[in-house]
Amino acid sequence: MSAAEPILQVRDLSVELNTAPQRRKVLDNVSLDLHANEVLGIIGESGSGKTVLSRAMVNWVSRPLEMTSGQILYRGQDLRLMPPAELQGLRGRKIAYIGADPTSALDPTLPIGRQIVEKLKSVEPGISDADAKRRVIETLQAVRIPSAAERFNEFPFQFSGGMMQRVMIVDALVTSPDLLVADNITQPLDVTVAAQILRLLRDLQAEYRTAILFVSSLLGMVNEIADNVLVLADGKVVERQSMQGILHRPEHNYTRHLVREMPRIWEAQPDVAAAPSVTASDGREVILSVRDVSRTYATKDRNRLFGKQQVQAVRGVSFDVYKGDSLGIVGESGCGKSSLSRLLSRLEAPDTGEILFKGQSIAGLRGKSLLNLRRGFQLLLQDPYNSIPSHLTIGRTVAEPLIIHGGRSRAEIRAKVAETMAEVGLAPELAHSLPVGLSAGQRQRVNIARAMVLEPELLILDETLSALDQVEQAKLLALFEKLQARHGMTYIYISHDLGMVRRVCSRVAVMYLGRVVELAGNEITFFDPGHPYTRALLSAVPAIEHRPYNASTYLLEGEPPNPINIPPGCSFRSRCPFAFDRCATIDPSLKPRGKDDLAACHLAAGAMPAPSHATSDTILA
Amino acid sequence: MSAELAPMLPKTPTKSHGPRTLSATMFANAWRTTEFRIGFFIFFGLILLSVVGPSLLGVSPTKFSVADKFLPPLGFEGGSWSHVLGTDQLGRDLFARSLIGLRNALMIGVVSVVGMFLIGSIIGMIAGYVGGWVDLILMRITDAQMAIPVIILAITILGVSRPTPVTIVCVLILAGWPAYARTARSVMLSERRKEYVRAAKILGASNLRILLVHIAPNILPPIAFVAVLDVARMMIIEAILGFIGIGIQPPTPTFGTIIADGTKYLMNAWWITTVPGLLLAISLCGINLMGGALERARNKLLQGVS
Amino acid sequence: MLFAVDFFLRRLLQGLVIIVLVAMLIFTLLRIVPGDPVRIMLGPMVSAEVAEETAQKMGLRDPIPVQFARYVGQVASGDFGRSFVRSAQGASTGGSRGGDTFDAANRASVMGLILIALPYSLLLAGLSFAIAMAVSLPIGIAAGLKSGRWPDRMALYLSSVFVSLPNIWLALVLIFLVSVKGGLLPAIGYRNWTYAILPAIVLAIELTPVFIRSASVAVSSNMMESYVPSGMIRGLSRKRMIVAHVLRNSMIPMLNVVGIQAIGLLLGSLFVIEYAFNYPGVGLLMINAVFQRDFPVIQAIAILACMVLVVVNILVDFAATTIDRRLQY
Repeated sequence: MSAAEPILQVRDLSVELNTAPQRRKVLDNVSLDLHANEVLGIIGESGSGKTVLSRAMVNWVSRPLEMTSGQILYRGQDLRLMPPAELQGLRGRKIAYIGADPTSALDPTLPIGRQIVEKLKSVEPGISDADAKRRVIETLQAVRIPSAAERFNEFPFQFSGGMMQRVMIVDALVTSPDLLVADNITQPLDVTVAAQILRLLRDLQAEYRTAILFVSSLLGMVNEIADNVLVLADGKVVERQSMQGILHRPEHNYTRHLVREMPRIWEAQPDVAAAPSVTASDGREVILSVRDVSRTYATKDRNRLFGKQQVQAVRGVSFDVYKGDSLGIVGESGCGKSSLSRLLSRLEAPDTGEILFKGQSIAGLRGKSLLNLRRGFQLLLQDPYNSIPSHLTIGRTVAEPLIIHGGRSRAEIRAKVAETMAEVGLAPELAHSLPVGLSAGQRQRVNIARAMVLEPELLILDETLSALDQVEQAKLLALFEKLQARHGMTYIYISHDLGMVRRVCSRVAVMYLGRVVELAGNEITFFDPGHPYTRALLSAVPAIEHRPYNASTYLLEGEPPNPINIPPGCSFRSRCPFAFDRCATIDPSLKPRGKDDLAACHLAAGAMPAPSHATSDTILA
Repeated sequence: MSAELAPMLPKTPTKSHGPRTLSATMFANAWRTTEFRIGFFIFFGLILLSVVGPSLLGVSPTKFSVADKFLPPLGFEGGSWSHVLGTDQLGRDLFARSLIGLRNALMIGVVSVVGMFLIGSIIGMIAGYVGGWVDLILMRITDAQMAIPVIILAITILGVSRPTPVTIVCVLILAGWPAYARTARSVMLSERRKEYVRAAKILGASNLRILLVHIAPNILPPIAFVAVLDVARMMIIEAILGFIGIGIQPPTPTFGTIIADGTKYLMNAWWITTVPGLLLAISLCGINLMGGALERARNKLLQGVS
Repeated sequence: MLFAVDFFLRRLLQGLVIIVLVAMLIFTLLRIVPGDPVRIMLGPMVSAEVAEETAQKMGLRDPIPVQFARYVGQVASGDFGRSFVRSAQGASTGGSRGGDTFDAANRASVMGLILIALPYSLLLAGLSFAIAMAVSLPIGIAAGLKSGRWPDRMALYLSSVFVSLPNIWLALVLIFLVSVKGGLLPAIGYRNWTYAILPAIVLAIELTPVFIRSASVAVSSNMMESYVPSGMIRGLSRKRMIVAHVLRNSMIPMLNVVGIQAIGLLLGSLFVIEYAFNYPGVGLLMINAVFQRDFPVIQAIAILACMVLVVVNILVDFAATTIDRRLQY
């Protein structure tokens, strides 16, 4: 697998950040070798310098960053010393780069096909227009973009994130480069889409024999594709080993720490107890009840002169939330969970069905009673930077709900604010500051304080932790657990992060295309789910453990159908590996399956393969 | 440059020297540039002069002096220290007249801009926030109003009636508010989607509260400095109106009338026309330099480049 | 194709509504504001009865909505009416010349007057646009490409100075320096096309800051987009990125400014400059009409000016959607 001479050699590369008041080393004497046809994963947390490293490979180091020493040898030639014209000839032709944000990598005003042809003609001047176009379409087909010839003429905004990433892969591979630098390419994508892209990349790599530098912050991602791994921390190379070696025999402390801290879904996690699995009913109080709720949006129909199209965002969703519970709602983009969260928070009203909070329908409330309702349950949003006003002090922001709801004196408000801030871990002197200097984690704490100050009974967390890094997430999860224990609160976690849901939610609802397709306790959801989509999700989650469900059986091509034209029957049918004729005509509803599981599927028990179990080769803790 | 840098920079919170709002930082940054400082000094220097000047310098804008008529400015043959910038056909000191003209122009400029800013912003914010029918109707009215260029509207209205400062200001406000409404509305549309508005609603805040407490402070600053530049524009329009004869009527000295009067004597006493215009141009240059520097400082701040 | 039909249908309809609103506004304003046109037409010597009688015959005493309806009917058939004041030979009649020179039967058609004056105004407008573009585009683009460095600062200073010069004052100064003292260019009136140069320069100076500002902002903000460095990594040269992508995308905001703001600016300043230079275009016609209370001419020109603005608006917006397809969605 490794040729005699490495295709890329980096020797003692150092890069510094040159901003006032002092310089900071971003990369410190980094060295690595990459052989032809090898996939090298580079893993590091945010701030480790991995993006700078990947960009240095294509000589994209511009002010205020500066390469202060080292060599980057491509086939023996130092890229730093090469004349610009020659370097320009290499980039895009023999050395390709794909970044994390595919949607803004191309000019949004020109068709994608034309832009890829433009690139091809720039780096291979002799090629004819017809040949270039032909090659591009062939490559589009190779990355499994359906209707490649038509999509050649479409614009970037007409592609979803996953599809656009495939387009960028085409753009990179169309010249058959020797070296491909893939910088966090799956970060903005949904779990199943990311898994598809990785699988695609693996196949293409085998076919084109390209060497790949795969940069990521998730060990699980790197595990899927890399032969060898380089671990980067604080700009320094900490360890370099084969993939299996890193997982089973990590040498450096940092690597060990990294491996240990990765959230486990199926294996018993050391130090962390999984959330207790609670069975439904048992006579507990229902605090929130969602009954057959639907919501449809009307958008302009481009194909008719004055028509509208119906986007069915939420279709007949029903579930109950019990007091003291933590319910997780998971799903990928387009599943309807954001619309559901808007309905739950009464920002919009459902078209059909009703939502009952403590037995009272929230739809009909107005004025004073609506205000009282808001005191009972609150919603926390995702964006820590835009969800708190930037021109009010923190104390004032946290006090706002108390001011709106009235009935307290100034002193009482001040006292309550101080008490709540202390409870969520904010220093008391912050009450007089503006939010401008706070980190994302602190801002979310302000959000939490603001929601907690009214002592709600139910808290809905809509992707609240998604914008935070691993460390902050862990801290805030601990805070939530503490608050729940102390106040007896109920949580609804809306998230796409299965690892987090596994850790904290006692029950899980899985959504697909506007419906809840499975509703089960924690254990069942992860160890014996009844719906093929849940299994597909589990097969696609980046993990370093052994999977009970593997991708080749469950993971599907393509993307969810358009919520505008939902086909009759089961909406998952078009991508389900087990679909049979009944699925095309009758839409399954949630049926009980076992003691604690509801699944919307026609398959009889035992119709799907049993989960495979781990061998003795488990990960070292 | 900064777009790609953002994910790479360490996520340490920016160390500030205390709570600094966007506006304050913008001003501070602008102050550092030479353009802003030059503009600032020119403009405020002249304002000061126009307010206190004539009495302080002992020159009167209205005192006739037949003996002193047609005196050229200092430095040219015949100039004298008692009338540094020359006199007009009636012997009145040009510098003093220009300063009064500046004062009048400023008054009209500032009042009309404040008026169009307030009216336009309020209408724009309401249209953007409420949406639906209200938005549609208000925007159509705005478009209709914008379809009439300022000068044409002014000429049409003031040309057939007797212009007073009040009517002039009203016409200017009428012509100018749509632009502010448009900007306020588009900023409102983008702010309305932001998460803090949603968060406030979920907390139970009423619409009025959200508008006043949360959104308005974010909308007004960007429009406010366009207003500064508009003061200069209105002052020019006021001069043009005076020139045509439909501005503030004589005997009040305004730039327009002074310049228009001077046209008759362009051949022999060119300074009567040139000097006042030059003073106006310099003061406007001050405003525009300041406004331009402010805008660039703001753009840089928003794009994240230090 | 469908999009184009939908677009134009919607916009033309809206445009029509706007023009009708504007016409109503101007029509009403003229008649509300004090100053009786009949008095001006016939002069101060005429007796009150004769004045009233003429006014009645001309329909000026009917209620305003009735007058407006009649006007709309006329305009719809293409007839903008006849001038109150000017006779077919072009001379002004009535007013200070005394009532008996008022040639009621032989008044000039408004459309005719406008059509005669239009070519001159178009020449002036076109010339000033060309000069302004030739000066502003290189400066503006350079300023946008090298944001923060000397082209940018020069652009700022130049724009600030130009925008501070009152156009009428500048006109007089230039007339004095260039024409009278220097004898280089002719100034007042019109005998051949060189008479348009000096006024065009004055107008161009007024347009330049707007063009420079929009060019530099458009270019610099496009340069900051992610696809620019991304394109260079993919193998495209910087030159190609700038020419084929940045400049192309910058055209949209520039089109907006040139089409809408510049035309709006021009429509006002053109009139004033023509007056200052006594240049026989539509502007001079309008301003004289205002002083003479010549309602039909005022109305017609005001409405036509607005129509031009509305149509240009629609065209500019449509052109923008062909450059950037996202706007079609």
